[in-house]
Amino acid sequence: MKNPIQLSAKDMINSYLLIFVIHSAQVGVGIHGFQRIVYQEAKQDAWISVLLAGLATHLIAFCMIKTLEIYGSNDLYGIHQDVFGIWFGNFLNVIYILYCSVAFFSVLRNYIEVIQTWIFPGLGTWFISASLLLVTIYAFTGGLRVIVGVSFFSIVLALWILPLLLIPLKFASVDSLLPILEANIGSILKGAKSMAFTIIGFEILQIIYPFVKDKENVKKHVHLGLLFTTAVYLIIMLVSLTYYSEGKLDKTIWATLTLFSFISFPFMERFEFVAVCFWMLIILPNLCLYLWAASRGASRVIKISGTKFVWIFSILIFIGTLIVQSRTQINSINTHFGNIAFYIIFVYPIILLLVAMLKKKYSSQKEQK
Amino acid sequence: MKKVTFYIIPLFLLSILVGCAETDILDRVGLTTLVGYDVGTEERMSTTVVVREVNPEFQSNVEVITTENETSKGNRMKANRKLSKKITIGQMRVVLFGEELAKDDLHSYLDSLLENPSVSNSLYLAVVEGETSVLLEHEYKNIDDIGQHIYRLMEQNIKYEHMISSTLHEIAHDFYMVGKDSAIPIIKKEGELVELTGVAIFNDGKMVSSLSLEDSFYVKLLRDNFKSGIFETILKEEDIPPNLIKGTSNEMPVAFDAIKSKRELKLVDATTPEFDFQLKLKARLLEIYPDVESGDPKVIERLEDAMVKNLTREISRVIAHCQNVQSDIFGFGEKYRSSVRNSNLSKEKLHDMYKDMKVNIKVEFEILRDGVFE
Amino acid sequence: MKFKLPFNKKQTPIVIQATKENVEMIIPEENNFTQMIKDATHNPSDLIVKSIPPNLTLIYIKNLVNDQILNDHIITNLQNKIYETPETIKLSLSLPEVNISSQLEETVASLVNGSVLIYVEGYSPVVLANIPKRESRSLSAPENESQVIGAQVGFNESLSTNISLVRRNIVSPDLCNEEFKVGKRSNTSLSLIYMNGIASDEMVNTLRQRIKDLDVDALLDSAVLVEMIDDNSLSPFPQMLLTERPDRFCDGLLNGKLGVIVDGSSMAIVCPQSFIEFFESREDKNLRWQVATFVRLLRFTAIFLSIFLTPIYVGALTFHYEVIPQAFLVPLSESRALVPFPPVFEALLLEFIIELLREAGARLPTKIGQTIGIVGGIVIGTAAVQAGITSNILLIIVALSALASFTTPSYTMGNVIRLIRFPIIILAGFWGFFGIMLAFCFILIHLLRQTSLGAPYMAPFYPPRFQDMRDSLIRMPLPYTAKRPSNVRPADEDKFNPEPIKPEKS
Repeated sequence: MKNPIQLSAKDMINSYLLIFVIHSAQVGVGIHGFQRIVYQEAKQDAWISVLLAGLATHLIAFCMIKTLEIYGSNDLYGIHQDVFGIWFGNFLNVIYILYCSVAFFSVLRNYIEVIQTWIFPGLGTWFISASLLLVTIYAFTGGLRVIVGVSFFSIVLALWILPLLLIPLKFASVDSLLPILEANIGSILKGAKSMAFTIIGFEILQIIYPFVKDKENVKKHVHLGLLFTTAVYLIIMLVSLTYYSEGKLDKTIWATLTLFSFISFPFMERFEFVAVCFWMLIILPNLCLYLWAASRGASRVIKISGTKFVWIFSILIFIGTLIVQSRTQINSINTHFGNIAFYIIFVYPIILLLVAMLKKKYSSQKEQK
Repeated sequence: MKKVTFYIIPLFLLSILVGCAETDILDRVGLTTLVGYDVGTEERMSTTVVVREVNPEFQSNVEVITTENETSKGNRMKANRKLSKKITIGQMRVVLFGEELAKDDLHSYLDSLLENPSVSNSLYLAVVEGETSVLLEHEYKNIDDIGQHIYRLMEQNIKYEHMISSTLHEIAHDFYMVGKDSAIPIIKKEGELVELTGVAIFNDGKMVSSLSLEDSFYVKLLRDNFKSGIFETILKEEDIPPNLIKGTSNEMPVAFDAIKSKRELKLVDATTPEFDFQLKLKARLLEIYPDVESGDPKVIERLEDAMVKNLTREISRVIAHCQNVQSDIFGFGEKYRSSVRNSNLSKEKLHDMYKDMKVNIKVEFEILRDGVFE
Repeated sequence: MKFKLPFNKKQTPIVIQATKENVEMIIPEENNFTQMIKDATHNPSDLIVKSIPPNLTLIYIKNLVNDQILNDHIITNLQNKIYETPETIKLSLSLPEVNISSQLEETVASLVNGSVLIYVEGYSPVVLANIPKRESRSLSAPENESQVIGAQVGFNESLSTNISLVRRNIVSPDLCNEEFKVGKRSNTSLSLIYMNGIASDEMVNTLRQRIKDLDVDALLDSAVLVEMIDDNSLSPFPQMLLTERPDRFCDGLLNGKLGVIVDGSSMAIVCPQSFIEFFESREDKNLRWQVATFVRLLRFTAIFLSIFLTPIYVGALTFHYEVIPQAFLVPLSESRALVPFPPVFEALLLEFIIELLREAGARLPTKIGQTIGIVGGIVIGTAAVQAGITSNILLIIVALSALASFTTPSYTMGNVIRLIRFPIIILAGFWGFFGIMLAFCFILIHLLRQTSLGAPYMAPFYPPRFQDMRDSLIRMPLPYTAKRPSNVRPADEDKFNPEPIKPEKS
């Protein structure tokens, strides 16, 4: 068990904040339009797929925590180096850093796309990208305390949106959910798999774990956070399924935003315009956490300082957002990324747990001899 | 850390100077409040827009412009050339379709409306008896802003449950649903007024028939639940129980309000298919000619029976009419789809089945109270 | 690229080893001594050298000493008696503060601080009788932080009066008072005041260190001190509270906060202070909790409106005309029909006028200031609308947000609220709601980054402390707020026993 992370209490966070970190890392751009993707596989049983995907996150989080517990106070990067040796471990670390960067990029690019489609068709990609990157950098340079604070506020300040989902319910018909379980298990599972892009984010746990003060409570709070996410997705899925008819849901790209279109107040109509802008606050923790995770990895692999890394990273991402322009490109990135993320997040942690456990057994046997 | 702030601030100021979004300043755009589509005489479609402009004399003036083109965007560009201000559609409240166009196909129009993010999902749709341009271009004596007026007209009638609701969301909901067809209100120019005259019923994207204004109550009864509706009917001779009143007249107009209705649809036999339709109504007796002894519970009971008969007959008639023209505006197909596993319903299959569908109607009618004077 | 910031708190100051072994000693010879003092003080015109035969010389600065005490106690005492040594003089003087020193530097420092030097011929040590004349105004009601229910007394410019006010409110031996001199040239005295046993030692040490590390020429006001010792001087948001109310000051001390009073300044410093506490008034504690909660929520709503109402107007009218409800559409567009500018320019212009009125009102004497406010408001407002350079709806919005910004109980925070509106309006004018959201995120992150004396600025919301939230956005009844805010890391957490005081009722 080498290179564990030693931190002073000042840099650490309380474990109950993990509820917010996990939830805010999961909810981001995916929530705008996941209904359609899942619906195309599982039809009116899409909500079961959501439930299954939520269940899977709990299972994977359990594996992740088990792996981390073996090492006490270390993150995924350290575990890789220990389990697979410096060279192969660092190779995996680089892959993980790349994964975080692509996740960051995908969140950013999708949000830009939403902004450009809904409100500012003429606003340059470079501007939205640069301004969001600047906000992210500003938060990132404040350190983990600020990043977690952003996660916290992004949830607390966005909670008021949830009750608004009651308004579309006046057009809801329960018949749309029937008959239950018409789709076969295969397509429901496929639907659950297509949730991957939407539901990932909780892997941040593997990086943030050493920064948690009371590690014995981690399990409880991580699962609470995941439960909250699953509940939110389930509610939105149920509302969308009953609100839209099958053909319309199939064609609506950002079903959640269109859902908001009906919400109006005496002082404001067309709530989706506000929602699209307000979503910046919701994707901000996504961006910050992925950036932070990537920077942690980079600092462990090549000993680069956070500030230097963040500027290089931002410039690369900025150029990336300029290159990827059309909807088809974005969609194909989303699909490929979703597929890769599925293996990195939902398959790999189980393998890692097994390897880590074997290694632990092996080394403890060696010590006994 | 503080160094970063120093980088960020100049970068930010720089981007303020360089990047700027395209503006749509409220008083410098023409707000389209209403759009009407017709079949064009020379090109594919003819569009009539009602645009509200603000001019510096603190007055708004309303322009009605008709253009013809292949696409609706092309029409917008053409209309722009005739106006001093840029046309925007974010405040569009009503979309009208000419009868001829509705009989052709509405699919592509709905698609293009849904595709545009500035178009609200809560705007109202209506079919115009005749041509929209005729309706809109007429200079009404008492109506300043025809767009606003039609919007208010529809909003008011839908809110007080005189007419079926026809927001874009609901219409699109039914259009894209396999087991249901759409119904859209019909409006018509009536002298110096605009009037709702009935309901257009659709088979898929095509308008196939229309129902009268009186029948629109039954349509609403079958589609939605009433919270507080109003209803007037004429009890025919065969409905009136002989001992209700010393029969001199053979017709008996009655009116009810504060109607609460609850409907329940059940599939009893999937092969025919056969449905049980149960309807529970509660209402307040408002008017009746000739007057009856409304304090007498027996009389009320008889009146309720008469109403049940009347409603059953009328509802059957409306359903039969819709079956005739193969338009399932009541969502029987949706019920079928949700009750039968792996039904693989399609619009064609639905319409085939729909012709031979059987509906057993059960109505319960309860008169809760009458007015303050017996 | 490196920026050297003034008063950079993170930087460890270079301690100059002042090994002054050659401290000048006083030469026991009368003429020489007088000359030395004259040289050291550059022979000011109000320096009085008065000899009392046979062997005494008094030296003092006329405008600094209390004439009456000088006559009654010193001159009458010393005349016609023979004193041999400084010690005997010290004993015979019936004055509270008499010292003996033989160092020139200390003597001169004491002289300019209002001491009379009594020199005994042939002796090196001098007697320093401190009888300063302190000019200060009488106590009056706090002008800038008035409240309806509660004490009506404010601090004045005298350090000793202010400390006595604090000591009158908190009668306790635990009230610690440490005095410092700051400023190489001004030698301003300031007092660090805290409650021993409540305040956290770590924070006291931090603050003490920050004050000691100050290397400045002069310190004329506590507001300047705040900017020098707070955590981030570059932030527009104040991180320490400036108050002129002794009760608010004492309330802070009793909650475990630290206070600093600067001589010559009527504003005392309270720290650490979290963001939300700037919007709490002392009066909230004096009202019933329902009323207090209502007033607080009103204030927070006002702040929110003050910051975001004008930008939302600008954003909606410039870009998002879709969100305007039908009912507003006609009045809004018609009221703007004559206005030749885009909304952002219109809003900035009007905000500018309002700020001008405020600034003019603050600079002018009270009576004229009020007139300017009313006349300016009415005349300019109506004229602007009639001339068609603004719409009357915007006028209402701007007036409302100006009004709302004045509800902030802390004047310094109110200023910030008004200031940050301008960038947000500009952003809203360029990018609509996206710009507003961008500004909101920036402000949120900025606030999250701040600390006040090392304590999180956004407490009790982040990090979330539910115990402390009971007295933040709302004010729960007193029995529920028995704990001190954990933000100040108090040594003693309980304010009182949360058991009900009237047991027969519970």
